[in-house]
Amino acid sequence: MIDFFANTWLLWILLITGAVLWLAARNSDYFHYVLHRYLMALGTLLLVSFVVFGLMEVLPGDCAEKYIAYKNTQGEMISQATIDAERARMGLDQPMLQRWGNWVTDLTLRGDLGFSCAKRQSVNLAVGDRFWMSLGFCLAGLLLAYLIAVPFGILSAYVLNKPWADRDPQSSPRERFTNTLLLGFNKLIDLQLRIISYLGLALPNFLLALSIILLYVFAGEPTPTGLFSDEWRNVPWFTDSGFQFGKLSDFLGHIWLPIFVIGWAATALQLQTVRALVVDESNKLYVEAARARGVEGFSLWARYPVRHSISPLFNSVGFDFQRVFNDLPIVAVVIGLTDAAGLLIEALAMTNDQELAAAILFLVALVVIGMNLLTDVILAAVDPRVRRSVISGGQ
Amino acid sequence: MFAIPAKWRRKGAASEEEAYYTAGQFALIRARFMKKTSGLIAGTILLALVLMGLFAPFFSPVDPTIRGADAEYRRGAPQALNFCDENGCSLRPFSYTYSKEKPKFDLSALAGGDLNALDQLTSSGALSASSQNKFIEDREQRRYLQFFVRGWEYSLLEIGWLGIDLRSDLHLFGVEQGKLHLMGTDEDGKDVFSRTLHAVWVTISIAIVALIVKLFTSLLVGGVSGYFGGRVDAVLMSFTEAVRVIPPIPIYLACAVALSQIDLTPVQRYFAIALVIGALDFATLGRRLRTHILVERNQDYVLAAQLSGASTGRIIWRHLVPSFSSYIIVDTLINFPYVILAETSLSFLGLGLTEPVNSLGVLLQKAQDPDIQQNMVWQFFPVVVFVALIMAFVFVGDALRDAADPYSERNQ
Repeated sequence: MIDFFANTWLLWILLITGAVLWLAARNSDYFHYVLHRYLMALGTLLLVSFVVFGLMEVLPGDCAEKYIAYKNTQGEMISQATIDAERARMGLDQPMLQRWGNWVTDLTLRGDLGFSCAKRQSVNLAVGDRFWMSLGFCLAGLLLAYLIAVPFGILSAYVLNKPWADRDPQSSPRERFTNTLLLGFNKLIDLQLRIISYLGLALPNFLLALSIILLYVFAGEPTPTGLFSDEWRNVPWFTDSGFQFGKLSDFLGHIWLPIFVIGWAATALQLQTVRALVVDESNKLYVEAARARGVEGFSLWARYPVRHSISPLFNSVGFDFQRVFNDLPIVAVVIGLTDAAGLLIEALAMTNDQELAAAILFLVALVVIGMNLLTDVILAAVDPRVRRSVISGGQ
Repeated sequence: MFAIPAKWRRKGAASEEEAYYTAGQFALIRARFMKKTSGLIAGTILLALVLMGLFAPFFSPVDPTIRGADAEYRRGAPQALNFCDENGCSLRPFSYTYSKEKPKFDLSALAGGDLNALDQLTSSGALSASSQNKFIEDREQRRYLQFFVRGWEYSLLEIGWLGIDLRSDLHLFGVEQGKLHLMGTDEDGKDVFSRTLHAVWVTISIAIVALIVKLFTSLLVGGVSGYFGGRVDAVLMSFTEAVRVIPPIPIYLACAVALSQIDLTPVQRYFAIALVIGALDFATLGRRLRTHILVERNQDYVLAAQLSGASTGRIIWRHLVPSFSSYIIVDTLINFPYVILAETSLSFLGLGLTEPVNSLGVLLQKAQDPDIQQNMVWQFFPVVVFVALIMAFVFVGDALRDAADPYSERNQ
């Protein structure tokens, strides 16, 4: 009995979530929407798994060949018949749809992502920690991007139609002077940020990483590639003499590079998005109406255009994550990271490990879809405009 | 606004205003674009880069292929152009004659099995990579820069199936004798400047092919989905949604790995890469098109076309798509840098185009080599050109986006 549940735990979680939502949906429009989004997300995941699985068919070789190739190195004679027998034993001679069905069944029953032939271990084990590491990189990079982009994007939108100097005849000369200084300062920051944000698009992540490495080469310092320097790589976090702070500082000395490089392009893109969103909102009539009522300065901006432009930004977190992860494999190659993205490149380009690559791609898509679901649900709960449009819109 | 006295008002003013309201979409976009200084400057730079890429053989003094490799000047530093030196000044810029330092060590001592000689040799640094870049510059022998010189022969225009092959050997500049390496040479002696110029066009043309393919797949998916609606729409859009959440570069990688299994000529490989990049990038544009067509398909003119017996393909292609053409064109231009980045990333990982082909990605890939990072920094020149190219594209795309937005004038 316990075995049965242990083998089907994921399915039960999915079913129970669905059932709870269904019960709640019977007398609540909001939960009806949530249930609808939940089912949609599951459907998309199923499609994604099919696309990813189909994509892996184009990679050369299969598990049986890899097994036999390994045996060949052990000095056994190999014939085509042996390969075919191995293929039949592994079920690789079945049509693709059937194999995909098996893969999905294993996945939904107990979260089993299959077996990696090149690594000779279960994919869950091979990917596990490294995926969390990649996720951490991406989220840290995204957080960095938002922290920089949101305030400065708003500032950039704020100074968009402002002059360089304050020539208002109503203010005193002293006010005029301080205002001019402030405006000039803001304008300069805006100009710099715009150049940076264009550069962020023009200097792709891998080139930025290379440039930083080049600077280290010129300075004659050891380049901060990987996650630890050789000295600390094999030292455990906790030894007899307590927690190793040297390892922590070494780790922090290396970790900034991937996070900065990953956050770089995202920051550039977000700056432009935030700016465009806030400019769009600030031209709307309700802002004009608020201005006419006498609201002005910081409270006008914070309460009207900025507040309304946050929700589309929040809505795009899922795709931002996808975009950040998209660049991660190349960065991983340049910096020498061994996280899930590095593993993905290895699986795709070197070992042709279909199971591993499919699993990583699927996990990334899972995170994106999960984030989209979460942001949609939260927005519908928090933002009355969104709630009205999705619930009465007959979605 | 100033009230202009009636007699000063130009006669054309009324018709000018009229011209504004009757102007076509493209005339309006052009007029708004012309007002953007940053866009115009970037556009000029972009045009210059594209033209230099397109006519790369004319602008490059040295043949970028292995045929033009300078065996006497391998791993050579950039040759500076001077106007003045201690021997006097000249209006015509000149560079010097460079020659390889003769190896000072004696190999015959090694032949006798003398280990001390070997120690001496290795400790003297004569074998280190940086000493291989040393060239003696002969200040007495100047090489003057010449314009419109005859040099290596190239094909100006080649249309294979018409049998046309215009060849030329005219170059914009060169030196009297020997070769001029403005940006130095790589480890084979190939000229970095010429290679970069050739690479620009390869990269841009691959982006053009990819964008055309992308346009067609987007039109197909968006058009069919929007026009038929209903179940077709649901199936196609959920498929698009599924493709959209998977990061694209790993997908390109998988396709590129599959391509590398097939034996392809460089030209076929080039088109295959463009095809892969273009065909998989239909999600965003396809969705926009679908939304647009969903709205437009219920308009009267579509009904009129249907009643006149126009076929479905004709209605989509001739009636629905043109109403969206300015958006499509602007979107295509904005996407240029991203497609170039995709090609570069693939080549950078060694899975796109590969060595003898000059593409920016292939040249950028070398920047990863520690030897080049430490001893041949001039091979980072393609990086500079690449950044300038993408910057120009981004600025032009931004200005164009503003110009194509019908509401942008209100904000100014």
